[in-house]
Amino acid sequence: MHDNVIDRSRDITILELLDRVLNKGVILTGDIVISVADVDLVYLGVKLMLSSVETMEQLKSGKSIIEK
Amino acid sequence: MSENKILFNTGSFDGISEEIGKLTTNAEESRLKLTPDNADSGLAKLVLTLVELIRKLVEKQAMRRVDGGSLTDDEIERLGETLMKLEMKMEELKKHFNLTDRDLNINLGPLGDLM
Amino acid sequence: MEIMIYALLSVKKKPERLHALLAGMNGIAGADLHQLSFDEITAVVSNMSRASLIADKSTAMEYAAVIETLSKHFILLPMRFGSVMESNEAIIHMLERNYHDIQQNLLKVERKFEFGLKVFCDSEKLMAELREKSEAVSKTQRTTVAEIKNSASRIWVNKKLKEHRLEELLVTYVDSVIAEITGQLDRLKTISKIKKMVTPTTIIDGVFLLDKALKDELIHAVGDLQNKFPGLNFILTGPWPPYNFVDFTVK
Repeated sequence: MHDNVIDRSRDITILELLDRVLNKGVILTGDIVISVADVDLVYLGVKLMLSSVETMEQLKSGKSIIEK
Repeated sequence: MSENKILFNTGSFDGISEEIGKLTTNAEESRLKLTPDNADSGLAKLVLTLVELIRKLVEKQAMRRVDGGSLTDDEIERLGETLMKLEMKMEELKKHFNLTDRDLNINLGPLGDLM
Repeated sequence: MEIMIYALLSVKKKPERLHALLAGMNGIAGADLHQLSFDEITAVVSNMSRASLIADKSTAMEYAAVIETLSKHFILLPMRFGSVMESNEAIIHMLERNYHDIQQNLLKVERKFEFGLKVFCDSEKLMAELREKSEAVSKTQRTTVAEIKNSASRIWVNKKLKEHRLEELLVTYVDSVIAEITGQLDRLKTISKIKKMVTPTTIIDGVFLLDKALKDELIHAVGDLQNKFPGLNFILTGPWPPYNFVDFTVK
């Protein structure tokens, strides 16, 4: 397999995994859950980038550029 | 986790990871975040999302009727004029509140399945 | 100190095996994993302080890796990332209160794994094909509404009518693909959840719950589907823990 194809298929595996672990599974609701990743801490970027909001802000203001 | 979980594909991944990324991102971005600071625009967004959903439903139902051939010319004329005006009004409202179609894509939960 | 929950397990006969398994694993940020039980249901948890949790990609993946490993040995329901409660007692109480729902869901996923099937299309190409088809149809059978009177509202109605017919054709087409998929998979006795037209490109997003032993048959079936619809792009992933088959909300 071409390297690129291996990279892409790994990307897809990771995205599929993140979609599941962030959006699916047993959900605790209401007053019993202490909000951690629910949800503003987590930002999943289109470019396979998951980072804290803080990092996102840095990216927006151009302080650092992190490639995936 | 380094394990590759792809069991079948044609080897053509052009644009696919971006597409899947978009699907995942939607769930995050489409939450309506209401805070004291954005209550006005947040409410407009919520209300317009609902209005737009209903408008589209009505339009869709109307086109079904037209396509079914059970309406008279006059009825179609009036229906068309009404729906066209509704659409124009909606565009005005969106402009007024500075909202795009994308903004009106809030996750409405089970309500979204109406479409 | 808060407690993070990773998964809910059915541990009927082999509590010592879980103990040994957990001793050899770490939770997120290297935390020790331990178990909290109520009757036959066990929650796998780790202590953490909320301040120390960095909700980023690698943490989410560490969390998922714990669930993945556990799922190879036990029947479980994965928790969504970020499930935190304030004390061990609160968690045990939660297990007790939701005992029936948890048991029902565990029973459903017993010996089964989740597989994902997404079907992508070249949206422009597909729409162009359907448009051609739709124009051919309207030439032969249907007439657009009163083309003689060209009032603004008539023109508008005709435009919307065209869009409507095109959309109907797309729905019919996607439904026919879904019918093929379910036809192929029904004999594997799967439980499936299928969403259609998630985006213009992703026309089908399905998840299936089935016996892991049937994996090769599933791959084979998807291969057949791909041959049948060469213009579409099928991607099958798995086996995953049953993330999409938790059908209750914790009270």
